[in-house]
Amino acid sequence: MKYFLSMSFVLLCLTLAGCTSSPSTNSNSNELSGQLTLTGSSTVAPLAAEIAKRFERQHSKVRIDVQTGGSGKGIADVRRGVADIGMASRRLASDETDLTAHQIAADGVGLIVHQSNSIAELSPDQIIAIYTDKSNNWQDVGGDDKKITVVHKAEGRATLEVFLKHFGIDNPSVKSDVIVGENEHAIKTVAGTEGAIGYVSIGTAEADIESGVPIRLLPLDGVEAKTVNVASGAFPMSRPLNLVTADPSSQLAMEFIQFCQSADVHDLVKSQYFVPITKGSDIAK
Amino acid sequence: MNDSGTATSRVIGVRHHRREVCVTVAVWTAAMSVIGLLIWILTDIAVRGLAEIDFGFLISDMQNAGREGGIGPIILSTGLILLVCLVVSIPLSFGTAIALTERIGQETGFACNVRRSLDVLAGVPSIVFGLFGNAFFAITLGLGYSILSGGLTLACMVLPILIRTSEQALRAVPAEYQYAAAALGMKRTTILFRVVLPVAMPALAAGVVLSIGRALAETAALLFTSGYVARSPESLLDSGRSLSVHIYDLAMNVPGGGARAYATACVLVALLLMINLATAFLLRMTGVRHRSTTGGTC
Repeated sequence: MKYFLSMSFVLLCLTLAGCTSSPSTNSNSNELSGQLTLTGSSTVAPLAAEIAKRFERQHSKVRIDVQTGGSGKGIADVRRGVADIGMASRRLASDETDLTAHQIAADGVGLIVHQSNSIAELSPDQIIAIYTDKSNNWQDVGGDDKKITVVHKAEGRATLEVFLKHFGIDNPSVKSDVIVGENEHAIKTVAGTEGAIGYVSIGTAEADIESGVPIRLLPLDGVEAKTVNVASGAFPMSRPLNLVTADPSSQLAMEFIQFCQSADVHDLVKSQYFVPITKGSDIAK
Repeated sequence: MNDSGTATSRVIGVRHHRREVCVTVAVWTAAMSVIGLLIWILTDIAVRGLAEIDFGFLISDMQNAGREGGIGPIILSTGLILLVCLVVSIPLSFGTAIALTERIGQETGFACNVRRSLDVLAGVPSIVFGLFGNAFFAITLGLGYSILSGGLTLACMVLPILIRTSEQALRAVPAEYQYAAAALGMKRTTILFRVVLPVAMPALAAGVVLSIGRALAETAALLFTSGYVARSPESLLDSGRSLSVHIYDLAMNVPGGGARAYATACVLVALLLMINLATAFLLRMTGVRHRSTTGGTC
């Protein structure tokens, strides 16, 4: 009986192995094995961990450990060889050219107003004036006579950091009327208040506009706030989410990075409210 | 003359009375606000978190960066980290405490230096232990991000509190017991194991429970040592995320993770409360409720 069981188990394994290898065009993909360690940006880490989980499901012999500590730690760990891949939620600096960045997603933040708002675009100075309570009426910035309701994010939100850094504002100097946590919460607040302005992750806002929520994304520096422009890097208030490697990196690391950049993980990227980047023709997606 | 005298003393009396009332009110307000703060925190966490908790949450795997799924592997990792920490720190602490109370003269320079270094260790911020653990256990010893690194780092962190409480526990054993045992011709080691340790055991256990509380609450030291991986650990060399690190991550890095962060906080607070109740119970049993942990004559 025991012999029979073990035999059937072996047969089952062989069958499964046959199944997984046959549809795969890449002949060595089912032989991937080993361990990868990722460290770095805490913004990228939840996304990388989700992608790693899916990658491990496809390659049962691979283990991927995702650690955090910030972009700087990711870069330092790759240099020291402590980690195979670093994660950085920013572009590489000029003194980091010894490393290679592989972008896996982008994080774009756009300003939203209510659909009925007649304003076409706000200059950075006007936005700073609105958020520091120097402008309190849409008339001051060329709009209708209506009070501005400033929607701001709670401390610790990634979009808050991107927003403040882009405009060079200190958080304590922001005078807001409403403080919200999540992107969805900000969108609901703006959709329900005609004079409101807020800033949210562009991916989330686009999805909501498509489903009929009465908000509008404002262009910034003449660039339309669209995921396409975030993906291409044209939109100014955005940052790339990078995987960073030192030059001679292992085959497993390269396979994983390619997987991170493939369309197979776009649903995961979107579920973490980031913008997938797409290479070549299908950029409009 | 006499009239004015009684009037003055009455004024003084009224003033004294007023001062008494003021001090009493102030002291009571302080005490009440401490209780109020605790109740506020607990209610806040319970209201926001309890709705998310069910049996599935406690045992299932994490999904979608923690927004869905449960914290099963995380509870397991937390348990293993704690186990490593205690297995290492208890023998070291009890050994040091026995040495300090039984073998080394209390006023010798060596004992003073040991106590002083413990006090310094106790004052070191936990993030420094984290950096040390990362540099020493994870990199120099090559343990990497692992439950072992995390447990060893925590062991270093709880050593001061554990040694101090153990030392107090041993010192509280009445000297007469030892004299009586010595008079019966028992050897020092026999006295230690047959008399001192059994008598001190409940208080020693209370110290262990206090250290568990300290270790469970730790985030900073674990972020860099036991790591961030939320998979079920297969060995002590695997990285494992602790409850506190999970709360930190959900609250700070995962948009929409707030509710789950509160749910995890509920679980952690429930564990800590149980441990605190156990401490109180043990301390009551030994009748050493209000003993200070500073002790020592140096």
